Amino acid sequence: MNKSVTGLALALAAVLMLLLSPVQSKASDNDFIFGLLMVGPANDHGWSQAHFEAGKDIEKHIPGSKMIYIDKVNPADRPGVTIPFLVDDLVSKGAKLIIGNSDDMTDGIREAAMMHPDVKFIHISGDDALNPKSPENLSNLMGRMEYGQMMAGFAAAMTTKTGKIGYLGPLINDETKRLAASCFLGARYAWTKVLKKDPAALSFKVSWIGFWFNIPGVTSDPTQVAKNFFASGADVVISGIDTTEALIVADQKKKEGADVAAIPYDFQGGCETAPDACLGVPYFNWYPGYAHFVNNAKNNSWKKEWLWLGPQWSDMNNNMTSSIGFQNGKALGGDVQKQLAAFTKGLGDGSISLFTGPLNFQDKSVFLKKGETATDEQIWNLPQLLEGMEGASK
Amino acid sequence: MDVTFQHISKSFGPVKALTDVSLTAKAGTIHGLIGENGAGKSTLMKILTGYQSKTGGTILMDGNEVILDNPKQAARHGIGMLYQEPMDFTPLTVLENFSIGIPGHNRRDLRFALQNLSVRFGFHLDPDRCVEQLTVGERQQIELLRLIHCQTRILILDEPTTGISPAQKEVLFPALKQLAADGMIILLVSHKLEEVATLCDEVTVLRHGQVTHHTTAPFHFPELLTAMFGSVPERQDKAAVREKGSPVLVMQKVEAAGERQGLHHCTISVAEGEVIGLAGLDGAGQSTFLRLAAGLTIPEQGTIQLFGEKLPKKPAASSCAQALRTSFIPADRLEEALFTDVSLSDHFSLKKKQSSFWRSQQKAKKLADTGISTLSIKGQSENTAGDLSGGNQQRLLLALLDPQSRLVLLENPTRGLDIRSGHWVWQYLRNKLPKETSIVFSSPELDEIIHYSDRILVFHDGDIVMDSAVTDTSHDAIAAAMAGMKEYV
Amino acid sequence: MSKTSSKQMKKLSIDILLGGVLVFGFTALVLLIAGAPVFATLKNIWLGAFASTTKISQVLSVWVPLTLCACGLLFTFRANLWNIGIEGQVIMGAIGAMAALRIPGIENPVLITALAFFASIIGGSLWGLFAGLLKTKGGVHEIFGGLGLNFVAQGFILWLIFGPWKRPGIASMSGTELLPRELWLSTPPGWRVSIGGLVIGVSVLILTWLLLEKSMLGLKLTAIGQNPRAARLYDISPVAHYLQSIIIAGGCAGIAGFLQVTAVYHRLIPSISSGYGYLALLLVMLAGYRISLVPFLALFFAALNVGAIQLPIVLQLDSALSGVIQGCCVLSTLFIIGIRQKRKQS
Repeated sequence: MNKSVTGLALALAAVLMLLLSPVQSKASDNDFIFGLLMVGPANDHGWSQAHFEAGKDIEKHIPGSKMIYIDKVNPADRPGVTIPFLVDDLVSKGAKLIIGNSDDMTDGIREAAMMHPDVKFIHISGDDALNPKSPENLSNLMGRMEYGQMMAGFAAAMTTKTGKIGYLGPLINDETKRLAASCFLGARYAWTKVLKKDPAALSFKVSWIGFWFNIPGVTSDPTQVAKNFFASGADVVISGIDTTEALIVADQKKKEGADVAAIPYDFQGGCETAPDACLGVPYFNWYPGYAHFVNNAKNNSWKKEWLWLGPQWSDMNNNMTSSIGFQNGKALGGDVQKQLAAFTKGLGDGSISLFTGPLNFQDKSVFLKKGETATDEQIWNLPQLLEGMEGASK
Repeated sequence: MDVTFQHISKSFGPVKALTDVSLTAKAGTIHGLIGENGAGKSTLMKILTGYQSKTGGTILMDGNEVILDNPKQAARHGIGMLYQEPMDFTPLTVLENFSIGIPGHNRRDLRFALQNLSVRFGFHLDPDRCVEQLTVGERQQIELLRLIHCQTRILILDEPTTGISPAQKEVLFPALKQLAADGMIILLVSHKLEEVATLCDEVTVLRHGQVTHHTTAPFHFPELLTAMFGSVPERQDKAAVREKGSPVLVMQKVEAAGERQGLHHCTISVAEGEVIGLAGLDGAGQSTFLRLAAGLTIPEQGTIQLFGEKLPKKPAASSCAQALRTSFIPADRLEEALFTDVSLSDHFSLKKKQSSFWRSQQKAKKLADTGISTLSIKGQSENTAGDLSGGNQQRLLLALLDPQSRLVLLENPTRGLDIRSGHWVWQYLRNKLPKETSIVFSSPELDEIIHYSDRILVFHDGDIVMDSAVTDTSHDAIAAAMAGMKEYV
Repeated sequence: MSKTSSKQMKKLSIDILLGGVLVFGFTALVLLIAGAPVFATLKNIWLGAFASTTKISQVLSVWVPLTLCACGLLFTFRANLWNIGIEGQVIMGAIGAMAALRIPGIENPVLITALAFFASIIGGSLWGLFAGLLKTKGGVHEIFGGLGLNFVAQGFILWLIFGPWKRPGIASMSGTELLPRELWLSTPPGWRVSIGGLVIGVSVLILTWLLLEKSMLGLKLTAIGQNPRAARLYDISPVAHYLQSIIIAGGCAGIAGFLQVTAVYHRLIPSISSGYGYLALLLVMLAGYRISLVPFLALFFAALNVGAIQLPIVLQLDSALSGVIQGCCVLSTLFIIGIRQKRKQS
């Protein structure tokens, strides 16, 4: 007995030694490996999938580039594992550029950037690069989703019959506040300027669930929140979260006979889960931004940048060039489609500028005086929601 | 039809539970089976109901050998048992409980049968009531009817009157007599002599796993008592009565829960140097008495004083009692007094009064080795308590006993010991403890009590029914008091 | 004695070997079903955990809090208590530490870190004490009391992060504001585990061994765990020792919470405990409640946790597979415990 035990132990040890021997596959020198850290699952039909597909496009269009990735990077899914750990892993696999796709990763990416000065970092949605003291190898990238949200709000207000729009918000920060506000401005424009209705008859309510997607027991359940919206009389729900619960609930309601619709968020294929209830989807296209940074890093022309990329107004849905798009959905009426196109054109040529005074904050204090137009910085750091919106500002 | 046990024996390892037991129960009779706890009644009945296998002997029904390897076979032979605690499903209704185990009947037939049987035996049972709301007696009635309905021919009753009211007893007894008259064999297991006398046609007495007596009605009680408890010659050489000193333990109007009946209005005083034996059937209150004195059971009412100090009515009482040098050795050593997987020397460490922060293994080993040699324990200081035999466990407990104890409480100190070891234990207690130490002990062996005590307390159903100096009473009187017979002296 | 112990050792090594084989077999089966290459998967986990000093230090950063929780549990398991509330005790330790770190006006980082350390012990042990009191005074079994308190602690930390301790202008489940750098436990360059954390972990391990094996407390806890009724005859109060053991366990868990805040996340997040409390429960059971096996099994669990990150990177396997492998370990654990009990009974 004893002998066989020792024998087995030895065999086990031998196997382990064998496994230990370094067999890391060396990437060829021409390869440019970039790592992607996604906060949610790579197939979430939302935020993370948009990044994942942009990465795939980079692999396709930039020769020699190769993506490695880790998804579900959040403390609930990966207990005890921090961003610097994961960056260590990606770097040890040869990554020369790391993309962190969540606001949530701000601190971790900053820390990792300091630990690995020779690796380049892109933090999506952050603004570290605006700070002169921040590390030189850390840049920021964001799309001007404000326009997409204005269009979503416009489409919602043109469609609603009850005059009640629900906005399913993630957590409260500067980004989400400015996106909700943009959505509201688009809706108000449609309501007052196109439909010529009383602004007081438009209800725009924001409910925050607490995170970008559902974490059972931690966030509010987005499915439940969406149901509550419909139950309280809203007939269009706009989603600001990374996943498609609002659309699925709307689709169920529609199948039950209710005349309702929803607008998902941030992934071009967002409508696919339930096309019949989908008015359209404002989405990010990360390819142009990624390509910019990957090329710079590859060609040693990297510099610290803070990029806030807008749509290509002539062709919003061109994946190669437009960072922001809006894909019309099946539920969007033909007339509304035309009016939306006109609205978009107005946004593009500057004839419609929604962040222009007079605009008040939710607490009635003045945001923009009459005729005043907000600067990028004012929009980026929007301190609270706007007058006319319901929901928490902090 | 008759049931005959022929030379039945049963051993659990080296312990013999039954030795050569033979008896016959005839159809149409109620056959009493009496004896002290541990006499072997339950084992014999478990063999008959197929819950335990026998080591030797045969069981005959109508002269033919039957094999009763499992309860199902026994049931097929028409053997049914009514347990002390009703074996029913409390959330179900009376009718549902009645239906359990009866295959292929429809509800209406069963309801009819249940009502029929109820009327026949004078039971008042509502078929749709939930069993939860019924008394133990009523639940017993359902069980009884169910057994009758299942064509039971041999009915075993295990202490059937324990949990039921006198009124229910009045209903049960005629029902049993009627069943016997209908040709059923009824085996009644009991230690209540009066009940046995009123119900039974024949009685068999078991003691230490053997049949000591068999008789038919009418019964002569002294005869039965002697058979149950054994006869000992009256104590000739009374141990020198120790000097009686000041009161050591005083209980005043103590009421406490515990065992079967608890302990009621107990007022008693134990003097310095006394040796008191507590007699009584198992669970009559002796153990509760000992635990009250040790501070392990908290009285519901009344006060307990040890050496003039009142014991507090909270769990710290046992700590107080120990501080007053009161020691208690329970009967169930591994369950209540020792730690199975802890070494002997660690037991000594744990028992030490002034405990240091660190363990001192050498000191403990020294203590243990001393204890092992003075008490001739067969074992090493590294052995665990579970490794020791029962006798050596008892020796270990004696070795752990504080030699400065002023009151020693012992629950069945010779339990599981052979005669020599038992004698040795008493030698040790008498010789090693100072003269002024009081000893209170319980024992199921009357001779042990008579032999070693100065004074005897007899317990019956939670009452102290007799308090007498050993010189002023007789073996028979004690036995009768134990059996609850007030009129017999 | 030596004979029996060598027999036990042999039994133990068989158990471990059997466990290893079971885990491997189970894992291989699941991987095959999932269509993943078995050896490549396991190799990558191994490499992901031990291929470099950085990796090893990452593993150690998981090892430390896991070991701390396991040490705490050794005390409660000794007394035969199921301290499932360990998870909440970690959380309350983290909250205690954070509360101290937020005290305004203390400039000295060493002082405030020391304060946080003690506050975490207080937070954890207080939570343990609650579970203990629920058991001893309220008659609530420690499993239910502990689970209830875990929920309360989880709710409390969420409330703090979403409410009073949120980042200015942001209400997010992503946690409180990052601690200032000088309050991070120092980590040598290239390392991912703080020296302080390692020192604390190893000291607690040694202290636990001393207390359990060399002190009267350990012996008394053993006695109570085996037979609380008999303990009273030795003037050992089961209630007092239940409370002591669960307070110590809470203290150890609290320190784990402290390290999660100051050395790993540098802030308070909703899942600050990382599930180490529950993992440690399994670990201690797998170790057969022996302290000698705890550090090694903790290393194994930590390595699995860290190494599994390689799977999505290298093999594009769904990251959930690492969870499946952990599940296999847990199942094998339960299986071995079952076998062990059966063997004991027979």
